[in-house]
Amino acid sequence: MTQGISYSDALAAYAPCELREPAVDDITTEALLRAFHPDHIAGSMTQLRIGANAGDTCHTELAQLLQSDGRIDEADLAGAETLETDVLVIGGGGAGCAAALTAVKCGARVMLATKLRVGDSNTVMAEGGIQASVEKGDTPQMHFEDTIRGGHHHVDRPLAAQMVMDGPDVVRWLIQQGMQFDVDKYGDLLTRRAGGTSAARVVYFRDYTGLEMMRVLREAVRNSNIDVLDYSPTVELLSNEHGHCAGAVISSLKSCSYTLVKAKAVVLATGGIGRMHLNGFPTSNHFGATGDGLVLAYRLGARLCDLDSFQYHPSGLAYPQHLAGTLITEGVRSAGAYLLNAHGERFVDELMPRDHVAAAIIRECREGRGICVNDDSVGVWLDTPGLEMRDPGILQARFPKLLQLGRKAQVDLAQKPMLIYPTLHYQNGGVVIDVHGRSTVPGLYCIGEVTGGIHGKNRLMGNSLLEIISFGRRAGRHAAEHAHDRPHTKISIEHLSDLRRALTLAGLPMNQEGPLLFPKYAKFDSDSDYDGLHRSRKE
Amino acid sequence: MSETEKRVNLTINGKPITAPASLSVIQALWHAGYPRVKSIGCLQGVCGSCRVMVRRADSHEVTMELGCQLLVAEGMHVSFLVFPNPTHHTYELTGISNSWEVQARFHQIFPEADHCRHCGGCDVSCPKGIEVERGVELAAKGRFSEAGDLFIECVMCDLCMTACPENISPNHVGLFARRVTAYFHIRPSNLINRLETLRKGDLQVEI
Amino acid sequence: MSALNQVLLHPQQRVGADFAAWRAAGGGEGLRAALGATPAQLIEMIRDAGLRGLGGSGYPAYRKWESLAAQRASGDRYLIVNGNEDEPGTFKDRILLAETPHQVIEGAAICAVACDINHIVFYINPDQDAALASMRDAVVQWQDSDLYTALAEHLRRPVELRVMASSGHYIGGEETAAIESVEGKFPFPRRKPPYPAEAGVHGLPTLVNNTETLANVPHIMRNGVAWYRGLGRGAAAGTKIYCLSGDVLRPGAYELPMGTPLQELIFEHGGGMLVGMKLKAIFTGGPSNTILTPADLDVPLDFDSVAERRSALGTGAMIVVSEGTGIVKRVTEYVNFFADNSCGQCPACKTGTYYISRLLSRIDTGHGSRSDLDTLVSLSQLLPGAGRCHLLDGAVKVLDSSLYHFGSEYEKAIAPRNNR
Repeated sequence: MTQGISYSDALAAYAPCELREPAVDDITTEALLRAFHPDHIAGSMTQLRIGANAGDTCHTELAQLLQSDGRIDEADLAGAETLETDVLVIGGGGAGCAAALTAVKCGARVMLATKLRVGDSNTVMAEGGIQASVEKGDTPQMHFEDTIRGGHHHVDRPLAAQMVMDGPDVVRWLIQQGMQFDVDKYGDLLTRRAGGTSAARVVYFRDYTGLEMMRVLREAVRNSNIDVLDYSPTVELLSNEHGHCAGAVISSLKSCSYTLVKAKAVVLATGGIGRMHLNGFPTSNHFGATGDGLVLAYRLGARLCDLDSFQYHPSGLAYPQHLAGTLITEGVRSAGAYLLNAHGERFVDELMPRDHVAAAIIRECREGRGICVNDDSVGVWLDTPGLEMRDPGILQARFPKLLQLGRKAQVDLAQKPMLIYPTLHYQNGGVVIDVHGRSTVPGLYCIGEVTGGIHGKNRLMGNSLLEIISFGRRAGRHAAEHAHDRPHTKISIEHLSDLRRALTLAGLPMNQEGPLLFPKYAKFDSDSDYDGLHRSRKE
Repeated sequence: MSETEKRVNLTINGKPITAPASLSVIQALWHAGYPRVKSIGCLQGVCGSCRVMVRRADSHEVTMELGCQLLVAEGMHVSFLVFPNPTHHTYELTGISNSWEVQARFHQIFPEADHCRHCGGCDVSCPKGIEVERGVELAAKGRFSEAGDLFIECVMCDLCMTACPENISPNHVGLFARRVTAYFHIRPSNLINRLETLRKGDLQVEI
Repeated sequence: MSALNQVLLHPQQRVGADFAAWRAAGGGEGLRAALGATPAQLIEMIRDAGLRGLGGSGYPAYRKWESLAAQRASGDRYLIVNGNEDEPGTFKDRILLAETPHQVIEGAAICAVACDINHIVFYINPDQDAALASMRDAVVQWQDSDLYTALAEHLRRPVELRVMASSGHYIGGEETAAIESVEGKFPFPRRKPPYPAEAGVHGLPTLVNNTETLANVPHIMRNGVAWYRGLGRGAAAGTKIYCLSGDVLRPGAYELPMGTPLQELIFEHGGGMLVGMKLKAIFTGGPSNTILTPADLDVPLDFDSVAERRSALGTGAMIVVSEGTGIVKRVTEYVNFFADNSCGQCPACKTGTYYISRLLSRIDTGHGSRSDLDTLVSLSQLLPGAGRCHLLDGAVKVLDSSLYHFGSEYEKAIAPRNNR
């Protein structure tokens, strides 16, 4: 780790103060990203060799997974029970629940399979809020432009346009599910500004927006006719004779057995890849964020995009170690908190887009202006005491979760700054979809973080909670309405044979199995509790 | 800061473990090489998955905590609680025709809420320090907005459910209180105006 | 073969609420004798007789009497005669209360003399209609009797005799919970200290004794210490009502000398196993269910001897199970009983017993894994002592005892899944 100023020295030199000079703007975003953003680390990218994206640039670790062998064989499915449904939703986060709730409302039979429990997802951890243009001075067009600019003009414009138009109705739908938002004394939605945006557009509930959303959606799912399969990781999709998606192979951590689910439509809502810890970064992501959906969809032939673009959230907690990677909401910066280097100087406009701010932090640390704890951690200050001085009481009123984190880290945030460093936060790219969430594989819908295009190369705060509900509802409705016309077809895992052929012909190793399901350090594959789910022919 | 070097000995799920003092109990379990998949979640204290029972050295007391937030300590004894705890209460918000009926419906849906014996077990169990028992009492009196506010930090870990001898499911009571408050009372004029403008087609996005 | 029903369940005692019949058989002589002695002498007799707490604790009875007698305050004092009896396999107090109410009242009266008590509450399980009716009837007769007058004169104040139905919660049998109940509240066990002798009902000195314990007292007074000690076998004193149930030919309550071997209880008095059945284990009942195995058939059934076998005599309930009975299933039932009856004050108890019961039923139904079993063992080490009363420890003891004696059954139950 690069040398910086020691934690105790930097803390001794730090004094809370109300106003500080803005940072000097000495570098273009492009140059900053190229020099310091983790996506530009030399040698971290490779070209995919097989599949719909053969020849495309992809992060090396992700490429290994996309070009991995399946976890099962025909033999593993001997005696497996077969269930039938109209719509199978895979993933129990915000997107999956929104899709399932909408599909069931449209009259479809719906099954929801989730790797752990319903609600175990990144949704529950989202703090900042949801973007929706509801204020007078704001328009969907402005929201659209901000999204395009934030994504470095690399955005799938029709998708982004659809999402911003859906914004206000998404908020209404959530309120109708029983979700609360912070409102002013007249009952109007309060808004705050996200980094890289032109208007205050983020609606929120304290810094618990995702928690509030998820517990409400989970309760709604629990009280519906949706059949929930929990502790049930999906290990493979099923294909029919035309190569269309026709269901999935679901494993059960409870019974250690496989179930085949035949479905007229499958909605993949498996979330992101944070727990792959790309480039060795800590992550703000849920334990289950292991990129399973990307692998499942890619094997069935779905086209992906932007596999070289990941979001590193600027403010991950850097210290203490047991909480490293924990997210500190961007809301704190949008409320006015500064970022300071070891010398107490601001070094970036804190409300620039996330990739810019993250790269700026990495630059400070790499150039020796960071704060070091042992050899393990380095970071910069998040100046909460300064914010509290300018706006007394704001921490308590608006950021209760952050204060609780401070207590866990034994830091009084009104007195002492916290040490932060970028944390792997979001997969910008993913499965290519249309405005109904349809992938390039018939019968397969994808929604939420597993998809790409909407956010281009960089996502704005508040656009992910919006996206999951907007596209979750769209896919749920479309899948349900079109399920009626489709009969159940023959199901198989024949596409795995194609995969193995392609791997062999490309001279790729077959020693890794995918999807990953759990981070390596959880040792799922050597856990004797799940022996029934481990493939015996592999040594 | 040499305290990260310090190592402590503890027992997790009956297994003796030595780990750096800077780790959470989940990290310590992984650090020691034991597999662990179930009852791991967000690792940030908001999903309620990693419930543990803890007895600290030289203490008779056993507390309920979240494993991802719990720092290891010398002589600590930890046991993971892995099951989900389904509640038997069901309702749909659309089944409540208007806000005058909420209280009556509440007592049909949660008949046990009136039976609270005030043992305080839910309060002691809550890893978030929520005044659970008071929340239930307020909800039973029909003061849903107030009751719901007490449950803002609830992560639905279900520890109050397993602690309740009257099977009240206090966390679901709290969530009901929050949901009816939003469903019947959040009517933001800025949102409604914008929806109306959109409905008329006055705002379009030019791609 | 040991003599059956010599004292408490002697046919002459089992006359119901018939006061005259009871007096004719010598009833009341114990109290008369006690009225001629000093409190110190009475407590000394109880001590020398070796009378133990027969509600399951086995704690020497005189110690509680002594602490109460030692209280300086001159005001009201309470005796709660504990007949809440509710645990599986125990059915002795209800017989004493229904069939020998005067014997119980006399014991309580002597205790009142020794400890200067003026409120006696007979605290009875509400499901025991016969016991309640018989006691109510008997108390009315007592209040009109010469014995009552003599008692009140001796204590120089009126003595309240009150029969009350408990709330029916199992936990109400715990002594501090009984106190709460007598105060008209939900039976939540209290933290100790203060002990009931210092601050019990309404903060007043209070003694809580089991029904069977008190029933012995008149006989000790009447027949003397040596006679009582001589009733027991070996070093044990007195008699014990054993409640035999399960897969035996003649289940029932047997009053036998304390220290009668288990073998004799089951095979001689109980008539042995039901036809074609082979003995597998004996669950001893009470606040701490533990297991005895066929290897323990020689154990003398007294508190100390049974404790030496890593078990506990408890209330004297012996639930006999035969080969073919699933130990895991039985233990699950017991733990469920505790889980359902945990009062809620200590989450370690309520949630702890809930989890143990869930883990047990998973294992019993063939869905358990190695880690479930590990978790069970881990909980059995983590939980003891974390509750304010004995309920949690009781649940853990039956689990622990079954893991110790029948660990292989647990292993077998998790095998199908592990071998899949």
